[in-house]
Amino acid sequence: MVSKHRNETIRKRHRFEEKTGWEDINDPVRDRASHKVRALVASAIVFVISLFYLDHIYQIQINDHELYTTRAEDNRIRVRPIEPIRGNILDRNGTILAESFDTFDIVAKKEKIVSEENFITNAKKVFKFEKLEVDRLKKEFKNKKLKEITLQRNTSMEEFTKLSVDQYLLPEMELIVKSNRRYVFPESTSHVLGYTGKLSENDFDSTVEIKEGMTSVGKIGVERFYQNLLSGSPGFEKLETNANNEIIRVLEKKSATRGSDVYLTIDIGLQNYTYELLKGQRGSIIVMNPHNGDILSFVSHPGYDINLFARGISSKDYKKLLQDKANPLFNRALIGQYPPGSTIKPFFGIVALEDGIIDKSKVFACTGAYKLENYKRPFKCWKKDGHMDVNLSSAVASSCDVFFYRLAEVSGIDMIHEKLQKFGFGEKTYIDLYGEKTGLLPSREWKNQSRQTAWYPGETLNVGIGQGYFLATPLQLANATSLLASGGSSVTPHLFLRSIDRVNNEVSNFNYSDNKNEIEIDTESLHVVNEAMWRVIYDKNIGTASHIKKIDSLEFAGKTGTAQVYNLDKGKTGKKSLQDHALFISFAPFESPEVVVSVIVDNGGSGSAVAAPIARDIINFYFENIKSKVAMQ
Amino acid sequence: MRYSTNEFSGISSILKIDLKLFAIVMIIVFLGMITLFSVSSGDSSLMLKQGIRILIGLVAMILLAQIHPDNFKLFSPVLYFGGIFLLVLTIFFGVGKSADRWLDLYFLRFQPSELMKIFVPLMIASFYSDKSLPPKFKNLVVAAFIIIVPGLLIAKQPDLGTAILITTSGVIAIFLSGIRLAHIFLGLAFVIGAIPFLWSLMYDYQKSRILSFFSPDQDVLGSGYHLVQSKIALGSGGLFGKGYMNGTQSKLDFLPENHTDFIFSAFGEEFGFMGVLLLITLYVLATFRGMSISIKATDNFSRILSGTLILTIFLYVLVNIGMVIGILPIVGAPLPFMSYGGTSMLTVFAALGIIMSIKSHQRLMRK
Repeated sequence: MVSKHRNETIRKRHRFEEKTGWEDINDPVRDRASHKVRALVASAIVFVISLFYLDHIYQIQINDHELYTTRAEDNRIRVRPIEPIRGNILDRNGTILAESFDTFDIVAKKEKIVSEENFITNAKKVFKFEKLEVDRLKKEFKNKKLKEITLQRNTSMEEFTKLSVDQYLLPEMELIVKSNRRYVFPESTSHVLGYTGKLSENDFDSTVEIKEGMTSVGKIGVERFYQNLLSGSPGFEKLETNANNEIIRVLEKKSATRGSDVYLTIDIGLQNYTYELLKGQRGSIIVMNPHNGDILSFVSHPGYDINLFARGISSKDYKKLLQDKANPLFNRALIGQYPPGSTIKPFFGIVALEDGIIDKSKVFACTGAYKLENYKRPFKCWKKDGHMDVNLSSAVASSCDVFFYRLAEVSGIDMIHEKLQKFGFGEKTYIDLYGEKTGLLPSREWKNQSRQTAWYPGETLNVGIGQGYFLATPLQLANATSLLASGGSSVTPHLFLRSIDRVNNEVSNFNYSDNKNEIEIDTESLHVVNEAMWRVIYDKNIGTASHIKKIDSLEFAGKTGTAQVYNLDKGKTGKKSLQDHALFISFAPFESPEVVVSVIVDNGGSGSAVAAPIARDIINFYFENIKSKVAMQ
Repeated sequence: MRYSTNEFSGISSILKIDLKLFAIVMIIVFLGMITLFSVSSGDSSLMLKQGIRILIGLVAMILLAQIHPDNFKLFSPVLYFGGIFLLVLTIFFGVGKSADRWLDLYFLRFQPSELMKIFVPLMIASFYSDKSLPPKFKNLVVAAFIIIVPGLLIAKQPDLGTAILITTSGVIAIFLSGIRLAHIFLGLAFVIGAIPFLWSLMYDYQKSRILSFFSPDQDVLGSGYHLVQSKIALGSGGLFGKGYMNGTQSKLDFLPENHTDFIFSAFGEEFGFMGVLLLITLYVLATFRGMSISIKATDNFSRILSGTLILTIFLYVLVNIGMVIGILPIVGAPLPFMSYGGTSMLTVFAALGIIMSIKSHQRLMRK
């Protein structure tokens, strides 16, 4: 106990010591009192510091509680997206064209491997590794950055089942599941299907919906156009992980939703057949139903191995494709723009008849060339000696150029430009693929804008025979031909047949009722022209394709075209005829058309010699093998 | 022998144990064990090791409690200079992972610096026990040497944290001995003046630790990472904690050293602010009990020694908690009676034993 008295005593003692210098004498009473004061001061300091500490901890635990809770959650919770299974793509008969399948990467975490030597010995046994692979494993062991050893990539389920017999030798093995895309007919379907690839910056455009958690996306073709249908919805896993990023448990899981299967109008039998017909050539073939727009075959040759792209193409392979002179990556059917040549004649004939510029019996004389005022050089007919007197029907059948020069001169470019639009020239067909080209239906206005020059009369003549500035895509030609075959039912060509939502098996069919738009074509004129197209094949005297083998069971109609290519150097190669594009448009059967075939062979020669026999084979194949199947559906 | 009060009765009197101090400490030990059980996810071998260490500590405490304080005073120069000798040996023959703190005697590995935590206060108390108090300036200089010599030897190992702690415990002893206010200010001025000199003596990693203390968020994966994770553990605990065995920071290894230096954060994560309040209250109560023993002690030696030891233990508590809540730099100091580890457990129980010896022998000295 400290009392005032005692304190007073201490102070007195203190003063006494200072006076006398008796400092070394211990006074137990004073020492005890002094110590007590200091002990109490120390205790008070202990108390105050404790309060200060508690205040600081209060700040952390109570005031900043939410902040630190968030940070603790961020530490331990990781959200991992689950990639959905992409829907399959099938042909109209249900044959799979593109499918998703899982493969496994077999890996082993380094931290779980006890002995590197035993591991390699056992890996040799299980995987039958040669020296090359063993060296790779050793390298991966040495690489400090790698946390795991990759034993084998892209292992199929079957392979893994076989390997798992020996799993006890390598208990460290782990599987990483990867979703893959496989194309069953990679080359023949390449320009229809396109391919999928890793999501990139460019994919965030308006045409496809990129959902969170998606890593791959359709890049071009049907894969791109129907991305939203095919992709499905990603799911996610909320995982609890520890500081070493190891998964402790799954907190929450939402499964991915499988994408819809998409059935195409393509008949893969016909597709492969038409693709093979172009073997060794460059060109494109379109086979379509003129009444409903179903594309039965859509070929651009050469194609390329789309599986290479689905797996992630190496730069070496990609370079090879880019440098290939046949330009396999180029989708000729969709974006190839060709002078339509003589295939334009039936269409020009119809609009001329409709406009009353000529009637069906109007005769022009062909002397092998046509002289235009102010032009020194005459415009030549393909037949040097001329066709003598020709009317529209025989001009189409014999493909007389002079008749159409004359017709063009009389009609004028303005009429040609205006009237031919109804067959879809100069405009996209709006097929369900991205990147389609419009071709070019030239006009004064167009020339004025793009070339800043006036339109010359001679240019009208060239347009009249599908040359000059006139350009059309193979798809546009097929589309225009189907108008002739259907008698004016305009249909949008399409590849989509139906989709099946695999979650609830809901079927959505192509909406055919919205896909018909009648355009006016004079029946009489149409009849004249169609008959002329029949004569192309069956008029032995003048038909440009009358030499080809016929089909026993049915008759068909068509029109040859040989588009001259001016910009190639004829002098050097000396093979003038080979520079020309060979074209042929046709429909069959003649009486009640069911199918339209358009063929273009790049630099193939003449339409009659090269393109027409191909179309004939396709029509034959269609009615022998395909028609019965199509009719059943 | 005659025991006049009923405080001294039964087994505790025979064992010369202060029941109050003992009870408080054992609650802390219990909290430490359940936290250890949680962070180790029920690792029984860890629990067993720690249990054995606690038992050894208790045995040491009881043995020391039997020894008369006069004997501590008698042997203090021998112990102190023996300790200095071992420290010098450590400099030449020491072993250790990053610093040579351990002395390997083939049958036993230990840190001589740990001994000095007790020997330095013991030496100061012994030195002042027959001097007049408050100490004269001359005696202060002698005491300063008693402190600084082991301090520098330990800093050289390098173990800056322990060096500062031992120096501080020496300063506490001088304070309790009755140093004049003027001398306190003089000492403070000396310390502040010595800071640039000490800084120049430091190793780079020591400097970077101290610097990282001032801006822990800038260096998340370096030394500041520990503090950031520790604060996340504490802060996410909130008022009542995440519940026993539910700490995510500690159980998923985000909190480093979660059973040694950062056991306080692991405890705070699971038991929240209420748990922390309880724990700090227990430490304060233990300190107050020790100070009460010190006040009641009958001679200068006992007073200075018991007071210094209990305040030193509290100082270790402050340093450890201060470090995990970001008030002090991360120096690697265990939390007394809770952290996993043998040496520190033995030291604090030994200090406790000496305090209990002083308490239980006081009446015998009053003649």
